[in-house]
Amino acid sequence: MNKELFDLAAWSVKTAKSSGADESRVHISNQRSVEISYRNRKPENIKEASTRGLSVEIYVDGRYSVQSTSDLRKNAVEEFISKAVLTTKLLAEDPYRTLPEPKYYKGRSDKDLGLVDPEYKNFNPESRHKLVKDIEEACLERGGDKVISVTAEEQDSHVEEVLMASNGFEGYSEATVYVAVASMTAKDEGDRRPSDYSYFVCTDKKEMPDPEQIGAEAAERTLDLLGAKKIKTDKFSIILENRQVSRLFGGFLAAMYGSSIQQKRSFLSDKKGERVGSECFTVLDDPFIKGGLGSQLYDRDGFAAKKRDMIKAGILKEFYVDWYYSQKLGWEPTTGGPSNLVIPPGKRSVKEIMKDLGRGILITGFIGGNSNSTTGDASIGIIGQLFENGEPVQAISEMNIAGNHLKFWQGLAEAANDPWIYSSFRTPSLVFKDVVVSGL
Amino acid sequence: MKKVSRRSFIKTTAAAAAFSAATPLLSKGWHGLARADVPGYFEKEFGITDKLCRKVLAESLAKGGDFADLFFEHTISNWIILEDGKVNRAYSDVSLGVGIRTVKGDQVGYGFTQELSEKPMLDAAATAATIADNGPREVSGEFVGLKPNNFYPLKTLLTSIPLESKLPLVQSVNDKAFSLSPLVVKVNASFHDQQKRILVVTSDGEKAEDLQPRNYLNASVIAEKNGKRERAGWNLGGRKDFSFYSKSVVDEVAREAVERAVVLFDAVQPPAGEIPVVLGPGVTGVLLHEAIGHGMEADFNRKKVSTYCTMMGKKVAEPVVTILDDGTVPNLPGSINFDDEATLSQKTLLVDKGILSSYMHDKISACYYKIKSTGNGRRESYQHYVQPRMRNTYMLAGPSSPEDVIEQAGSGIYVMDVSNGQVKIGEGDFAFYVSQGRMIENGKLTAPIKDINIMGNGPKMLKNITMVADDFEMAKGGGGACGKGGQAVPVGFGQPTCLVKSLTVGGIRG
Repeated sequence: MNKELFDLAAWSVKTAKSSGADESRVHISNQRSVEISYRNRKPENIKEASTRGLSVEIYVDGRYSVQSTSDLRKNAVEEFISKAVLTTKLLAEDPYRTLPEPKYYKGRSDKDLGLVDPEYKNFNPESRHKLVKDIEEACLERGGDKVISVTAEEQDSHVEEVLMASNGFEGYSEATVYVAVASMTAKDEGDRRPSDYSYFVCTDKKEMPDPEQIGAEAAERTLDLLGAKKIKTDKFSIILENRQVSRLFGGFLAAMYGSSIQQKRSFLSDKKGERVGSECFTVLDDPFIKGGLGSQLYDRDGFAAKKRDMIKAGILKEFYVDWYYSQKLGWEPTTGGPSNLVIPPGKRSVKEIMKDLGRGILITGFIGGNSNSTTGDASIGIIGQLFENGEPVQAISEMNIAGNHLKFWQGLAEAANDPWIYSSFRTPSLVFKDVVVSGL
Repeated sequence: MKKVSRRSFIKTTAAAAAFSAATPLLSKGWHGLARADVPGYFEKEFGITDKLCRKVLAESLAKGGDFADLFFEHTISNWIILEDGKVNRAYSDVSLGVGIRTVKGDQVGYGFTQELSEKPMLDAAATAATIADNGPREVSGEFVGLKPNNFYPLKTLLTSIPLESKLPLVQSVNDKAFSLSPLVVKVNASFHDQQKRILVVTSDGEKAEDLQPRNYLNASVIAEKNGKRERAGWNLGGRKDFSFYSKSVVDEVAREAVERAVVLFDAVQPPAGEIPVVLGPGVTGVLLHEAIGHGMEADFNRKKVSTYCTMMGKKVAEPVVTILDDGTVPNLPGSINFDDEATLSQKTLLVDKGILSSYMHDKISACYYKIKSTGNGRRESYQHYVQPRMRNTYMLAGPSSPEDVIEQAGSGIYVMDVSNGQVKIGEGDFAFYVSQGRMIENGKLTAPIKDINIMGNGPKMLKNITMVADDFEMAKGGGGACGKGGQAVPVGFGQPTCLVKSLTVGGIRG
């Protein structure tokens, strides 16, 4: 617990009240971060800094605004809040804009979410430089004579946050975050210079793969793109790599928010309790995963976190409805957004599934595209591998998949056994049948 | 945590930015203070003297390095937002800090602090200095103030405009949109304004101070017809004076948003495959920015990861194609008086009648290529280091009429607006979502189209531009921001109607 931050939050709430606000909610963050990258076996960038910020939500005369500042000197904050209250009074009234009923704050778990690595304080400049150098070396070695350029990078940070509301909510959270990245550009036919990267993020350094794996994976992913070309438009079975699922599911997720529903931007608004995908389509929201990147004990409204079935065996069970939109919709609130999203893994490896399918496309990246949350229509460029007889035979580029989410997720045939843990979206690779992939 | 990727993307919708950032309305010491052409803001408000700068720069170069610079920033941003008929939400943000950079060859040490006092600044400078490992390097004895042109003069500081004057703009967009069509069921409207004050001080003795305004008026509309819903939006803005926001601007924002939503009820999906594509004038210049422009940023070429790294002085397009990156066009989002390294803004000829004639440089790449910087060194904020970035990128008009270009296409698609573009620099591959367009059948524009992607290869597309029309225009929106290396900066783009022989259209119709 950072008492200084906590005291500043309490003082800010009090200041808002004395400045004329009926209610207020204050969020304060404090972060120390370091970034180091290497290229050509020498540091390319070294960056280190502390950032802090205060945002205050003002509720006055049925009106609402949010103001944020990085200037946390008390006299500056005092003037800042006082002016914020005056400004808020100029806006239109909004009867739905209130702090949540305090009953939703109750029942908060006191679990240790394991978000702070006790060893973080020992992660010194020498350890950081060694990590990055080792990643670069591994990538250069695996990339061999195909390498044009390799960059390796680490970022790490320690973040503290306080959330406090004038009607009784108080919360503090703290986390350490480690990020390791390697990216490579390779020589290919003609003028093409394919590039790809590996990217890992975790809260506990022990979860980070070895630098050799991080570097080698970036090289292998890049080498897999050599000779990429467009192939003939056809229907394929596709395997969507675990770390790419969030991009596709993001289009579905955008329609699950109370704001989207109330603002008529959701193709799912009348689909609660109905089938929106195949029996394999199950999505859990689990805020209590130890070390999970989305783990939390309370949400941004201060609601006590709960584990939720969002989609179960293809049936849409819940929406993300925060306090404000619950008031506008006249619905019971749930929570404002995802914590950790989990699609349960299956039993077979991607290799086994490829062998079983024989022919198909393994999607390892997306490019451009769009998903329309109002209609559910989506169109997105893909990068990956054509496989035949269970083996990759051709890298593909300049190809596209398109369709409507409601139809697309009906085609979900299987989840592989490889959940991706380096994201708040913990999903395995997914298999879809009969997808039109357009190219030539 | 921002993901690190070489891929670049651009967002042309303003609404996303408005809702993703928390943001501010007032701040101490801002009102009625120095104009862009009256330097001294940071000294007057925060006590940033030449003596202090010299001391911090000396610390930055305590272990050597080629040069160091300080980037002071004080930015105030405001959003007011209308939902369900009322302007009932406002966000504001005050951002204050200094970024300190030490450069040695192509290596960068960087520290920043939000406290503009000596001790935190010296600490940040010491962090930056760790990139070098030699003896100290001397800082220039005297700073000479840069005297740039002003490409965005203001009659009134945006932060001096009372909130009461901004509210009717947003309310009027809402009322106008509902009056235009009975199909409109929801309107979200917003107004964003930002005033960014910067001071750049370099160890070579340069000192430059600027005030960069930015603003836009945005509408997003949902229309409903026979149980189906469609959504579209539009925004106008740039580095404008508040007087820009007249009744005609309000009407245009509302009208475009409504027309773009309503037309989608009649839209069809074109067949998937390779077909001729006509890019309409103005906003489709984003494709030029993404698919071609990024590959001409010098860092990608210095590192040999761009396909253009071996093409300098060679033919990359037909002679009808000339492309510039220009920071000097008045009041556009990508215009700058000088870049974030204190290099004066300029007009840079990238492709001269089909021949690649320049990359876009910051100081690091300029030093590598042994030329002068083109003034493209930009950064999102004091928390970020400089990269070569585009400003306003556009293709000049050609000799054809737009009608001839469409007729020449025969059958294909006509692209009026795109969004969510992404490019892979090394391969040159790109993909864009077509948010507005038409079918071209028998050389004429026919049914509207929707929900498709167009994909291709940037260098190949550039070679495949076979006709260019005489109807050049710049995109008029103010909400576009380009992303690269986790940093977003405002940019502009434009072009005339032109014909691309063939691109891949991704849809579900075979």
